[in-house]
Amino acid sequence: MTRLLRGALAQGVRLFGTALAVALAVTLVSGTFILTDTIDSAFHQASADTGGSSDVVIRSTALFAAQANSLPEREPVPESLVAKIAAIPGVKAAWAAVQGYAELVDKQGQAIAAKGLPTVGSAVTPDVTLTAGRAPGPGEVAIDVETARRAGLVLGDKIKVLFSGSTQEFTIGGLLDAAGDVVASTKAIFDQVTAQRVLGVEGQVDAIPVEAEAGVSPDALRSRINAVLPDQYEAVTTAQVAQESAESWTQAVAFLPTALLLFAAVALLVGAFIICNTFSILVAQRARELALLRSLGASRAQLTASVLCEAVAVGLVGSVAGVLAGFGAARGLLALFGRMGFELPAASAVFLPRTAVVGVVAGVAVTVLAALAPARRATLISPVGALRGADGGRATSTSRRLALGSAAGLAGLATLLTGVLSGGDKPLVAVGLGAVGILVGLAALTPLVATPAAHFLGAPLVRLFGEPAFLGRENAMRSPRRTASTAAALMIGIGLVGVVAILAASVKASASRTVDDSLRADFVLTPAGLGGAVSGVPPVVIDRVRESPAVATVSEIRGGQWGLDGRNQTLLAVDPATVTAMHEIDDGSAAAVRRLDDKGVLVRDTVAERYGWRIGDPVPMTFAKTGTRKMLLQGTFSTTAVRTDYVITLGAYRANFAQQFSLEVDVALAPGVTAVQGRAEIERALADYPVVKVMDHSQVVAAQEEKVNRLLVPVTALLALSVIIALLGIANTLALSIHERTREVGLLRALGMARRQLRSMIRSEAAIIGGLGAMLGTVVALFFGWALVASMRHLGVTELVFPVAQLAGLAALATVAGMLAGILPARKAASLAVLQAISTDR
Amino acid sequence: MTLILRAPTTHEDRTFPHLVTSVPAARAVNAVKLYGNAETSVRALDGVNVDFAPGCFTAIMGPSGSGKSTLLHCLAGLDDLTSGSISIGDTILGTLRERQLTRLRRDRIGFIFQAFNLLPTLTAAENITLPLALAGRRPDPDWFDTVVDVVGLRDRLHHRPAELSGGQQQRVAAARALVSRPEIILADEPTGNLDSKAGGELLAFMRRAVDGFGQTIVMVTHDPVAASYADRIVFLADGQVVDEMFEPTAERAIDHMKQLGG
Ligand SMILES: Nc1ncnc2c1ncn2[C@@H]1O[C@H](COP(=O)(O)OP(=O)(O)OP(=O)(O)O)[C@@H](O)[C@H]1O
Ligand SMILES: [Mg+2]
Repeated sequence: MTRLLRGALAQGVRLFGTALAVALAVTLVSGTFILTDTIDSAFHQASADTGGSSDVVIRSTALFAAQANSLPEREPVPESLVAKIAAIPGVKAAWAAVQGYAELVDKQGQAIAAKGLPTVGSAVTPDVTLTAGRAPGPGEVAIDVETARRAGLVLGDKIKVLFSGSTQEFTIGGLLDAAGDVVASTKAIFDQVTAQRVLGVEGQVDAIPVEAEAGVSPDALRSRINAVLPDQYEAVTTAQVAQESAESWTQAVAFLPTALLLFAAVALLVGAFIICNTFSILVAQRARELALLRSLGASRAQLTASVLCEAVAVGLVGSVAGVLAGFGAARGLLALFGRMGFELPAASAVFLPRTAVVGVVAGVAVTVLAALAPARRATLISPVGALRGADGGRATSTSRRLALGSAAGLAGLATLLTGVLSGGDKPLVAVGLGAVGILVGLAALTPLVATPAAHFLGAPLVRLFGEPAFLGRENAMRSPRRTASTAAALMIGIGLVGVVAILAASVKASASRTVDDSLRADFVLTPAGLGGAVSGVPPVVIDRVRESPAVATVSEIRGGQWGLDGRNQTLLAVDPATVTAMHEIDDGSAAAVRRLDDKGVLVRDTVAERYGWRIGDPVPMTFAKTGTRKMLLQGTFSTTAVRTDYVITLGAYRANFAQQFSLEVDVALAPGVTAVQGRAEIERALADYPVVKVMDHSQVVAAQEEKVNRLLVPVTALLALSVIIALLGIANTLALSIHERTREVGLLRALGMARRQLRSMIRSEAAIIGGLGAMLGTVVALFFGWALVASMRHLGVTELVFPVAQLAGLAALATVAGMLAGILPARKAASLAVLQAISTDR
Repeated sequence: MTLILRAPTTHEDRTFPHLVTSVPAARAVNAVKLYGNAETSVRALDGVNVDFAPGCFTAIMGPSGSGKSTLLHCLAGLDDLTSGSISIGDTILGTLRERQLTRLRRDRIGFIFQAFNLLPTLTAAENITLPLALAGRRPDPDWFDTVVDVVGLRDRLHHRPAELSGGQQQRVAAARALVSRPEIILADEPTGNLDSKAGGELLAFMRRAVDGFGQTIVMVTHDPVAASYADRIVFLADGQVVDEMFEPTAERAIDHMKQLGG
């Protein structure tokens, strides 16, 4: 066994490329875990800090909690309760907590948005720590030092603050410690009376934090308080509030690890191709040696084991390197998401043992699985056959490959088409599964077309570069399976990048189409910057616009979260009287909207069908503020212009939601007012409110495109990892092939091939493999792009656009990159000493 | 290319072309080749002086390890001397840079190895024209046809090496060496892997190339019968030229080798 392993060790250097492929894929796995664990711990840490010195918190009960919300969403608590709580034995202190939207405006009139989150204004509490100045009195505000530093504000400066109902000016009286907020948003603190007034909760508070006397445990105090509290209020420990808050934020980013692991899975799949290929080549190269071992009495099991041991070793080395590289990846991902607009809390990296375990297990498992077939092939080498002939055990029959490949491909195709054509509930799942089947099928079938395809793709090279390219092409064609599986790895990467490009172009076109076809408003007001995206356009702004004489109609659209059977759902709230004039939708949906009143809800037809709801049925909707309400199903809609499944009226929204911000405000100008005049008027009305953006149709389209682009960059970057692994595969395959063909290289050089020509030959082979991968990838992208877009019709992706120039550029880039991947192996080949090469025994 | 002033001759009726023209096709002067470092150094060539006349078929014989292959490699510019000089025609190889050496090999030298002469991916025809293709030249079709017919490969032109016998493969290599009309063909035991019949065919072909087209050939061989096809045998021992023989026969060659202790 050790003797067998020694043969394996000799290949060590040649396995470097494989280990690198494993390492890259595992890096993403490990990076994902480190990232999510770090975020998780940061959320928990910050949430725990938020509680301050309190032990228990009294608040309104709620059956539902929205995700990632930093503004109060529960029914307020009467202020009179504070004194009653303070009187309960065991309570050392109880105070009022008031929170709400308070956007700070800097000296230039711009909103000071921190980390893309809304500014939270609150009432001063006994446990607030000031770093400078004093606790705010009337007309004063205390802001956090970090914000002050960024905006260049000092004690005594005047600052304008935007509330949901008004704008007011304050003097900065104190500076707060910046630490201790879940999302480190900008903070503004007022005295209690002011806070209640400006935040619109006079006589009320959002919660009552309570500090326990020494010797009284939070749990005991909580029970004691709960015993005397009316039903609609509850006492919970601060620890529990922190836990809830952390969980709500973690859930809000729960899609992240899933999405990232998906990319990691793609990278591992591509890696598997490289691994399988490498081991196939190594086994073929060692056919003679393995046959010799067989004839000397080594058993099949021993040979398989020797190859698999090698796989385990490579997998281990690669995985460990990958797990460690995960630290860097986590940091990179953080930056990547920062670019997308998700500022995630920064904290020192958290490394759990689980990260190492999953990373190593995944890396080793993929390596071993990918090496299984080549290992089995090693044992099929007949002792005599391989000693005599050149290629041992190469006889995987074409017909079996054809059968298996076609079976997988057709099954995948059938699944995918069912998904696309049935228009069922979850077409994306079917399309995804089908895509995997088709990819596997294609990979299995590629060797059958590799020879003619390489011939075709190499033609222009041969015309350009002559004999060296001709020889390179012959090399690419001589082992179609090797060429094919190397190209197939690239096919997957390029295919997915292409699909994303098609999807992005289609989504943009669909958005533009929707605006052209259905937007009837002259202007659309949306929250400016990302800060507002979490809260929205404050009501005060809308009132100002409504008062403008240039404006005929203003229609608000609000968005919110609610619970159905314990699951988070979204809804939109509209004004039934005006919204259909702003957005033209199909007649049936429009009629349903116009019939909607404050007691009712509209549900997407497919969703209503799934739940078996009929017109007139009650839909149990749970709100954070008001609890479960039975809203009457007053109609269904089918339009994809509405990006949610549930629609209620603004009236119902006002009754059931604590915050009243709008996602979108549609404005129709008065007759006779030109667009230029209208914009000027609206902007004048908004002069004091830097948080709102006024957009005409083309700006709405541009904003949508911008949103798509922001997603496109990181997604493409993540897929690029798979492409890089595939390119590594090309370099690896070529290096192995050259090693195998050392003698041929020597012969060519002896016959007068110049080094330059030799390099050109190898680069040609690389370019052909790259071109094959690019070609297959483009075909895959076109087909999957079509399937994906077709299956996303219900999500409003109605247009199918092939960004031809982009796809062609991608294919060209992949081919060139493939050629570049050949540079190192080419250089290595050119550096071989001619005589030594020709007299090598291989 | 050196002008050939000689009428074709038969095996029986030979003249000695090296006496006719003055510039040798190849020449080694005080050629020394050391291998290894100071302590373990091997003197593969130890002051070889030899001329190879144009249009002459020379065989090199000598005991194993006497430096025959080394001499041939140095003549072909595949290896460089430690001291002394080698020239092909009037080009001194030591002065050439790597790129010029490569071009020299491609354009002015034909090489036939003992085995593994052909690229497995190319057909016989493609292998034959490979050096020309590398030079970006097209073969002269008449000359190509002549060469192909002489080696008797017409019906094998589109086969790949794996589909050819060892003898046929060596004939393809010989055709390749000939088709670019090199100044000199260097062959290192070209018949070493062949049985006597296939070997005989190849040697007859080489003989014909010399007699018919005035080709210069230098061939290393262990086989006295093979050497008897040559016009002249140069004997090497311990890296030095120890003797030569004109108009050799197999018997005389055997005797001579015995004297050398090979
Ligand atoms: N690359 C090398 N490194 C070290 N020594 C070498 C090398 N090549 C050849 N030699 C030595 O140089 C000497 C001459 O070798 P060469 O191959 O020229 O012999 P040869 O006459 O061709 O022998 P044979 O008839 O066995 O082919 C031998 O002693 C050999 O061991
Ligand atoms: Mg030799």
